[in-house]
Amino acid sequence: MRTLENIILKLGSVDRRVIFVLIGLAVLVPLLRPVDLAIRPGEDSQKVYDTIEAMPENSNILISFDYGPSTRPEIHPMTLGVMRHLLSQDRGHKIYITCLWPDGLYMAKDALETINEEYDLVKNEDYVLLGFRPGNEAIVKGLESDLRKVFTVDAEQTPIDDIPMMEGINSLNDFQFIFTGSAGYPGTFEWVQYGGDPTGVTLSSGTTSIQVNEVMPYVKNEQLKGILAGMPGAAEYEALIGIRGIATNGMAAQSYGHIVIVLFIILGNLAYFITQRRERKY
Amino acid sequence: MVLRRYIPILIVGFFGSFTLFGWFINNETVEAFINDDATQWYDIIASFAIFLGALNLLKLQFLKVLKRQSGWQYSVVAIVSFFAVFIIGFFMRGAFIVDIPATDVQETYFTQKSAEEAIVQLKDSGVDATITPAPWGAHIQTEGGLFKWMFDNVFTPLSATMFALLAFYVASASYRAFRARNFEATLLLLAGIIIMIGRVPAGGLISSWMIMYMLVLVLGIIVNTYFRHRQIVFGVVALGLLGVTLLGSSMGWPVDQPSVFYLPDLQEWIYSVPNLAGARAIMIGIGLGIIVTSLRYIFGLEKSYIGDQ
Repeated sequence: MRTLENIILKLGSVDRRVIFVLIGLAVLVPLLRPVDLAIRPGEDSQKVYDTIEAMPENSNILISFDYGPSTRPEIHPMTLGVMRHLLSQDRGHKIYITCLWPDGLYMAKDALETINEEYDLVKNEDYVLLGFRPGNEAIVKGLESDLRKVFTVDAEQTPIDDIPMMEGINSLNDFQFIFTGSAGYPGTFEWVQYGGDPTGVTLSSGTTSIQVNEVMPYVKNEQLKGILAGMPGAAEYEALIGIRGIATNGMAAQSYGHIVIVLFIILGNLAYFITQRRERKY
Repeated sequence: MVLRRYIPILIVGFFGSFTLFGWFINNETVEAFINDDATQWYDIIASFAIFLGALNLLKLQFLKVLKRQSGWQYSVVAIVSFFAVFIIGFFMRGAFIVDIPATDVQETYFTQKSAEEAIVQLKDSGVDATITPAPWGAHIQTEGGLFKWMFDNVFTPLSATMFALLAFYVASASYRAFRARNFEATLLLLAGIIIMIGRVPAGGLISSWMIMYMLVLVLGIIVNTYFRHRQIVFGVVALGLLGVTLLGSSMGWPVDQPSVFYLPDLQEWIYSVPNLAGARAIMIGIGLGIIVTSLRYIFGLEKSYIGDQ
């Protein structure tokens, strides 16, 4: 028993570099040799899927890229998944893209490039890339009252009035659905408070795992129709649309990473209890 | 005194109350101001704030270098990077597109000189091509352009690396700090473990029966702590294991039943019930805080924006 306790104590005081190596391996190995894990779509991801399924034909969809390269592995698969879902239905949906983050523009361009390889979209006929404007929530508020005052030109400096797809698009009220891929401020909160709630336009969001607990009141209150929660949410959405993407491939890595962290927490606690008991004893 | 104190307070008070009470006034001009003009003013101020922020950043970094404070070398990197991106973004087009008419072939070059060299090479091989410089504004997002290249090859990997480091720090920090020191800490620890495992697909592979068996063993530890009687502990553990086995046999050992012990369902419950209650409380608290702070601004009680403590 004492030998076992000593082993646990040794493991409980392992150098942090060992933890780093183990976490690195737990993440790297499944990425290099993909492992298939069954993905069970959750209620909130299902709701996003059902909302998009229920969209009427020829709907105008606004997608906001409110994230940058740091959170790209989590959010990018969600925006790609939503775009794939919208386009795979072949129901004439039109996609309008805005960005509340400056680097969101690059994320949007990257997503469009990926999607274009699969669906052969035509710029300004199937989608409009409106781009980035500084102003955070004021931009959402401005879009709600008059989109044409916020965007006079698109991301490539083409006047909005010269884009046929923009005909009849004057404010958020002209959209049937809004999706925001959000990594923080400005993002989901601002879209709910200044976009979705005042207009009543259906709104869904994809956020980082860390944000989910803050946004949950909006989801349960139906102010957000479902949420894609972190990379698991993105993987669930990929499972729902039947397209295996980078989120599904990343699930094994995330699973093993979490297991290693939990094992170390348990080891650390066992070592803590043994130390406490020995201190009390002597 | 009047210019520095009372006029700013009056402006804030007037526009604060006008924007607030404007929501309740059914007048087109007032509505237009609140919905459009005020937000446009905000956009303009936000744009200027970017310059202010940049100047402030430079001031701090320069001071750090001049005073040779610890880590001043990093400030040098920050200053050099700032000016490099600034010059490339504002003064260098960095995107010259060589286009071969009647084909889809396009190649983007960083400089006009390299684009012209490419044209000469193409001409030598009998192909006519034209150079189109990317328009100012669009040059920062032109595929193959210098700014886009910097974003893809410098900024993106650096940002991703910084964020990815979190995984290592979270692992190390939770290993050291996540201790079941008291009841609240134990509750937090258990909720954390359930969320971490329940959120990922691996959690779905853990049968609820396995969790029940583990709970029986934990119950044994608790009973042992309070009674310190071998027979009682043995009795509780044996009865518990037998009960779980009998229940499992009768139900056919479904992985996700009883759902109260299935980790994905359990984590969903944690998110939807206790977490939701906490998040709502925080939201309501923040909302009340915003109302109070806004009223303090409107009534001139909050004066930190003019330098008062």
